Amino acid sequence: MKQVLEGNSAVAEAVRLARVQVISAYPITPQSHIVEVLSDYCASGKMDARYLRVESEHSCLAALVGAACGGVRTFTATSSAGLAYMHEMLHWTAGSRLPIVMAEVNRALGAPWNIWSDQTDSLSQRDTGWIQLYCEDGQEVFDTTLQAFRLAEWVNLPVMVVTEGFLISHTYEPVDIPEQEEVDRFLPPYNPAFKVDTKNPFTVNSIAPPSIYMEIRHDNAMAMDEVPERFDDVEKEFEVLFNRRYGAVEAINCDDAEIILVTSGTITSTARLLLEDLRDRGEKVGLLKMKMFRPFPVEQVCRALKSAMKVAVIDRNFSSGAGGIFLQEVRAALCNREDRPLVFGYIVGLGGRDVTKAVLEDIYKMTKNSDVPSDKSVWIGLREVKHAIGR
Amino acid sequence: MLEVRFHGRGGGGTVVLATLLAKAFFQAGYQVQSFPFFGVERRGAPVEAYLRLASKKILARTGVTTPDHVVVQDQSLIEDIGVTAGLKPGGWILLNCPIPPSDMSAFANHRVAIVDATSIALKNRIGSRTHPIVNTAMIGAFARMMEAPPMDTVIAAIRKEVPSDPERNVAAAEAAYREVRFL
Amino acid sequence: MNVAMGQKPFVAITYETTESNKTGSWRFLKPLYQDKQSPCSAGCPAGEDIGMIEMLARQGLFKEAWETILRENPLPGVCGRVCFHPCESVCNRKDFDSPIAVHALERFLADAAVGAALTTKWERLPQKNQRIAVIGAGPAGLSMAWFLSMLGYPCDIFEALPEAGGILRWGIPEYRLPLAVLQSEIARIEQLGVRMRTNNAVVSETFDELRRSYSAVFLGCGHAHGAPLGIAGETPESVKDGLDFLRRARQGERPLCDGFSVVIGGGNTAVDVARTITRFGGNAAILYRRRREDMPAFGDEIAMALEEGVELEELVAPSAIEYHNGRLRLLLRKMKIKGQDKDGRGRIVFDGKKTVKKVIDHVFAATGATAAEPWYSPPLAQRGVMGFSHCVLLLEAGGAPVIYGGDLTNEAKNVAQAIASGKQAAMVLDTYFERGIDEIKSRLEACVVGDGPALSMEAYLGGPRGGRSSHLVQYGEINTDYFQNETRVTQPRLAVEDRSCSFNEIELPITAESALREAGRCFNCGLCDECDNCYVFCPDAAVIRSGNMENRHINYDYCKGCGVCAVECPRYALIMGGEGL
Repeated sequence: MKQVLEGNSAVAEAVRLARVQVISAYPITPQSHIVEVLSDYCASGKMDARYLRVESEHSCLAALVGAACGGVRTFTATSSAGLAYMHEMLHWTAGSRLPIVMAEVNRALGAPWNIWSDQTDSLSQRDTGWIQLYCEDGQEVFDTTLQAFRLAEWVNLPVMVVTEGFLISHTYEPVDIPEQEEVDRFLPPYNPAFKVDTKNPFTVNSIAPPSIYMEIRHDNAMAMDEVPERFDDVEKEFEVLFNRRYGAVEAINCDDAEIILVTSGTITSTARLLLEDLRDRGEKVGLLKMKMFRPFPVEQVCRALKSAMKVAVIDRNFSSGAGGIFLQEVRAALCNREDRPLVFGYIVGLGGRDVTKAVLEDIYKMTKNSDVPSDKSVWIGLREVKHAIGR
Repeated sequence: MLEVRFHGRGGGGTVVLATLLAKAFFQAGYQVQSFPFFGVERRGAPVEAYLRLASKKILARTGVTTPDHVVVQDQSLIEDIGVTAGLKPGGWILLNCPIPPSDMSAFANHRVAIVDATSIALKNRIGSRTHPIVNTAMIGAFARMMEAPPMDTVIAAIRKEVPSDPERNVAAAEAAYREVRFL
Repeated sequence: MNVAMGQKPFVAITYETTESNKTGSWRFLKPLYQDKQSPCSAGCPAGEDIGMIEMLARQGLFKEAWETILRENPLPGVCGRVCFHPCESVCNRKDFDSPIAVHALERFLADAAVGAALTTKWERLPQKNQRIAVIGAGPAGLSMAWFLSMLGYPCDIFEALPEAGGILRWGIPEYRLPLAVLQSEIARIEQLGVRMRTNNAVVSETFDELRRSYSAVFLGCGHAHGAPLGIAGETPESVKDGLDFLRRARQGERPLCDGFSVVIGGGNTAVDVARTITRFGGNAAILYRRRREDMPAFGDEIAMALEEGVELEELVAPSAIEYHNGRLRLLLRKMKIKGQDKDGRGRIVFDGKKTVKKVIDHVFAATGATAAEPWYSPPLAQRGVMGFSHCVLLLEAGGAPVIYGGDLTNEAKNVAQAIASGKQAAMVLDTYFERGIDEIKSRLEACVVGDGPALSMEAYLGGPRGGRSSHLVQYGEINTDYFQNETRVTQPRLAVEDRSCSFNEIELPITAESALREAGRCFNCGLCDECDNCYVFCPDAAVIRSGNMENRHINYDYCKGCGVCAVECPRYALIMGGEGL
């Protein structure tokens, strides 16, 4: 049934319907509503799950690694500094092949303090071995969370469902929440690949010397390589039941586009509005929405961009010394292709700055009017400021 | 698409006001989106919330800067905050005040409605004597002013979403619906 | 395509145990559980096992804590009130925040036991044939009888006065030591079968008779005889004995002290006399030839006396006394400080010829006491006389051995030293009877607590305390990372207006909650409290525990000697030693 729900509640509903068994989290804005709702559900019995209170995010994920080794379905949610604090355990989770699902609500990292949307927190964790799926609205957040459990448990890898601070987390909008029986048809009980057993004890993650470490990593890599295909399988099943699918990437009007905007997250929604306007004006423009970031869906990206002359990658994130992070990945994906388009990069909306349709239109025009892209990302909408230091 | 901005004070139910309206409009068949001003909220500090209404899925994920209408929950905000900033000409301003403001010059390009939501809330014992909660009264006045959403969806939304004393809140919404005045 | 084909993920899982890897072979240093000595216990003349007492109290095991006290000291209710608690001044915790309130905790445990009417079936050695006579029912005689009973000796106490207790009964005012407290402690000693013969003064003839009819005689009749001032004009009427005054007050008399009295002296007796006078409605001043900071009396007692209206005059020494219009005129010489005495106190000399005269109503002397009869005092060193720190043993033909103790032999004269004396005398006598004279010294040495001279009866009886290392734990050896600053408990007291007009006990009890918290502050220096840090930190899971402390041990097959356990032991109860250990 369709309900008007906050984005954070959409995540919580998906976790409830997924029959998660162990939840652990440490509160942080703008994620806190998710686990507030879930802790209520655990306390009231609406969910048959254990809620583990912990003293830090590092311990939170450590606790979930333990729980997942015990063969139960697990979930956590965090943001920004909380995710950064989990960093070490992110590696451990993926290395242990545990299908933990996390809702990661994008929020800028300090310094300075900032609680608003910015993807740098999740993208900073790109090498930890987690699958990353970016969402643009409450419905997609709900659907992706359900799919994440199915995908994670299939490939034995953890999944980060990425949403955005306030723009999704605190925004109310209609979300279709299915009944438990429908969800149960999509998501069977978790059947772990291994689980610790006191009667037949074994050690998980014992030391792996040089003679075997590489093989374990390679197995991990192969599983990750399969993810686009498995995700497609999951989406097919999902579509049969719920009549919605998203794709690892979504290419809109790309086939005949000369210029293609590449976006992720909520900027995509606003870009869809611009695309309608520009197309009405006869502009040959397309839009590529990046849902999957890890693994990076190279094949899908190259296929979508193959006819374009120019690509404008719009990043609400920033890797100092390298520019936009999606930009780097898109350029890397294309670099060995023949007839590759020119790739332009733009930095927008850091720390929650509003990314309006006008901003996106400026980017389109700049791309259209430039013949050679800059090596660096171009910063959009910077204000003239006098620096305060020293006064 | 229609955009409405709500002004209130932290702890006064402004975000709930926008959310309740979103739910009532959704029940009435609209596509909706509501969200608070994305910031750190402190009790008593001026806060804003927003509501978007449309007939098809709302894609905009940006701030509301040129609202069609504004709703002001607290009379004292009229002087503190530019409640008409960006307000489109001809748009409604719904004020919570017992009598019309003495100086209406700032509202020359707009239509003004007033409702004594504070008295209505006190009469219906919503909130405390010192901090009456006026948001459900404001919804009733809004529904009359905009001729939408229909009162039955408003009442249904209140009954479903307001955790304590929903009937008093329903009564407040209905009273405000009757008592709102258009200047 | 491993996943699609249903293969398990490749995870580093092993069913092998690490037991095949005997990491113990790497070891060149070996950790060893080894309980040690705490400075408080060594500082306690009675050698109480304070670190263990507080550990038990912290766990709410008040009965066990109380029993642990009684193993070394039969008078916890008394000592919890009037002991000068040297344990606290050497407490390692003083270098961290403030010492443990051992004194207040001892009183709490003693009172709790009385309040709950606790009794214990003591494990005593089998009954011996030798019957012992104990002369004097003061703290030395009482503890002699207690420890002798533990060692299996039947004994009789002979007391000149109508009730037992000695100085505790007759020399310490009720506001410091209520009668009921003393009586319950004496009753506990009597319950062991000790026969109390009061109103039974031993004179030299009966003493000889006792030496014939008993196997040994303990002589502990104390220094109950006040020393005269030795000034011109002094008579028993003009200068009264302070101890006698206190004795009469405790007998229920109201000795004459109206008007203005002066008390000469600087010890607890002087302060008690002055405070008793105040309570009887008189005015009193303490005159002392040195300064306040040189007074042997407890600082707290002096401060409370001053609050109660007692005056203190320093650096005055009486030189003559005479009658003057029905009153007394005391001539005093002024003193001054010049240089330093051997004990660190300022050396006093006459301040020129300066004198001062005081017209007063009564003078009490409290400048020290001596034995009432010359034959009480132990013989000088000679053949047949064996001297120890707290007693003297006399062996001569023609009579049973005599052992002198208490104030008669102790350098420092106080309750705790008297208890130490009774304990030492009991051990000396038992070893003499059981193993002969040549073994006495070595047997005592084996029971020394820390660096002595305190002795442990538990160690003497072969209890676990005897197995501790003799090492005295220093503050630097405590791992203070595991302790937090916490405020020391404050013993509540009657307000000055409530106490200065009555003999009600001044110090009030602390609550069980405060006692638990205070006991929890204790470092338990050198004692394992099963905190399990060693177990938690051991990287090789080589610390094995199976229920109780005795079973906690190290599996040397796997202990690689890294020493983490010893470093993380908060209490220095684990040490690293060579493989030879």
